[in-house]
Amino acid sequence: MIVVGIIVAIVLILLIWFVGTYNSLVSRKKRVENAWSQIDVQLKRRHDLIPNLVNAVKGYMKYEKETLEAVINARAKAVSGGSIDDRIKAEGELSGALSRLLAVFERYPELKSNEQVKQLMEELTSTENRITYARQFYNDTVMKYNASIEMFPTNVVAKMFNFKPFPFFEATAAEKETPKVDLTF
Amino acid sequence: MDYLVQQKKNLKKTYLLVFLFLFLMATLGLIVDALFGVFPFGTILLIFIALIQILAGMSSGPALVLRSVNARKINEKSLEEKQLKNIVEELTIAAGLEKTPEVYVMEDENINAFATGFKVEKSAVCVTSGLLKHLNREETEGVIAHEISHIKNRDTLLMTTISAILGTMVLVQLFAWRSLRFLAWSGGGRRSSKKKDSGVGYILVALLILALVATLFSLIGRVSIFAVSRTREYLADAKAVELTRNPKGLSGALRKIAKMQKNKGKVKGATIATAHLFISDPLKRSVNNKEGFFANLFSTHPPIHKRIALLENVPDEIVLRELQEG
Repeated sequence: MIVVGIIVAIVLILLIWFVGTYNSLVSRKKRVENAWSQIDVQLKRRHDLIPNLVNAVKGYMKYEKETLEAVINARAKAVSGGSIDDRIKAEGELSGALSRLLAVFERYPELKSNEQVKQLMEELTSTENRITYARQFYNDTVMKYNASIEMFPTNVVAKMFNFKPFPFFEATAAEKETPKVDLTF
Repeated sequence: MDYLVQQKKNLKKTYLLVFLFLFLMATLGLIVDALFGVFPFGTILLIFIALIQILAGMSSGPALVLRSVNARKINEKSLEEKQLKNIVEELTIAAGLEKTPEVYVMEDENINAFATGFKVEKSAVCVTSGLLKHLNREETEGVIAHEISHIKNRDTLLMTTISAILGTMVLVQLFAWRSLRFLAWSGGGRRSSKKKDSGVGYILVALLILALVATLFSLIGRVSIFAVSRTREYLADAKAVELTRNPKGLSGALRKIAKMQKNKGKVKGATIATAHLFISDPLKRSVNNKEGFFANLFSTHPPIHKRIALLENVPDEIVLRELQEG
């Protein structure tokens, strides 16, 4: 009788542990997916902002046609979609083009004092920061999730239900070169 | 340290504190019952007061603090304030909070800021207009990251609870001392009956014990808030760097705060009950820049030069000398 009781208790404890571990893995995975969608939201914000920005500065920057066109083309590519790899690449190009545009801004004092341009620049700076922070948060969440599916004994449950690690969001080469532009007004 | 661990710790501390507070109030109630022979009404009354105090604090605590410093919501048409809102939204993403805290501004020339709110989803960040005027974007980011860390760690919950409880302890202490004085005065006037005299003497001694106990507890309460809030400031500084990955913003802001400290007066509307919520002491008590046993007991904020030194990773004497010269 006692032996049966002990066996039942052990099975019960194992069952509770199993369910708990499974649920915590699912919630970690959801957190990663949520962090990923946050990056998406911010990228969309950037796409929406660019046409306004380009329109506002076009008049001032007659001699910077190339820079502006690069931004417009990069945006078009980024918006057109494709596989995740393609998109990451297109967004990287867009980041590079935008940072060149911001660097050019420095040469136009009258542009920097324009109220509407000031506002757009603030929005752009904020959007770039949001994208950086969203990636940072995504990578942090992925790190926790990936660690938990590899660590014993959680990895047993993770293997049984085929929990796969997520890739980290690495900065592309173009972004790593991004010059730091002082945008304080 | 992990945010989740820190959150759980703060939640546990808050529960423990509320439990200790209820226990203390019940004990005081029993003393009152024994004094006046009204068991169990004194106990019930005091527990009732304690519960009301906690509930009232929970429902109106943040609003109360915001009102007491005359804070207003930001005006998104102003570029400066729109930028502040953007910074708060950016760091909300960095911290992975679900909802952006509300943003308030209080008119004051000093550079200061605080966060408040029992629940993470219903918290608020408030900065002075002086901060908007004197800090650049990077520095403002540092300060906001510090405040967002307080919210995420749930420091705001613990600190606001402490404020509410301390407020009640001070009330009990005042009540005990006042009634003691009243009884001593009126008891002294009735010397005719020996029997009554011994009764009054008994009540006097009991009231004295009550007053002493309440005073002791409010003193311990104060010293512990100060200790708690000091370690929390260092922790929030470290977390701010973790969020922004940039120690320069916050240290730059603290330098400007230190330099301005001598010129401007206290932050309008800040009191001893809310001082520990701010990023730097709004009351400018000199004790906060000193060290030693006494200063360690009674300061709400760590010395600013030490915080800067930790962020910039340099010896704190160098920062101190630099601040004194500049």
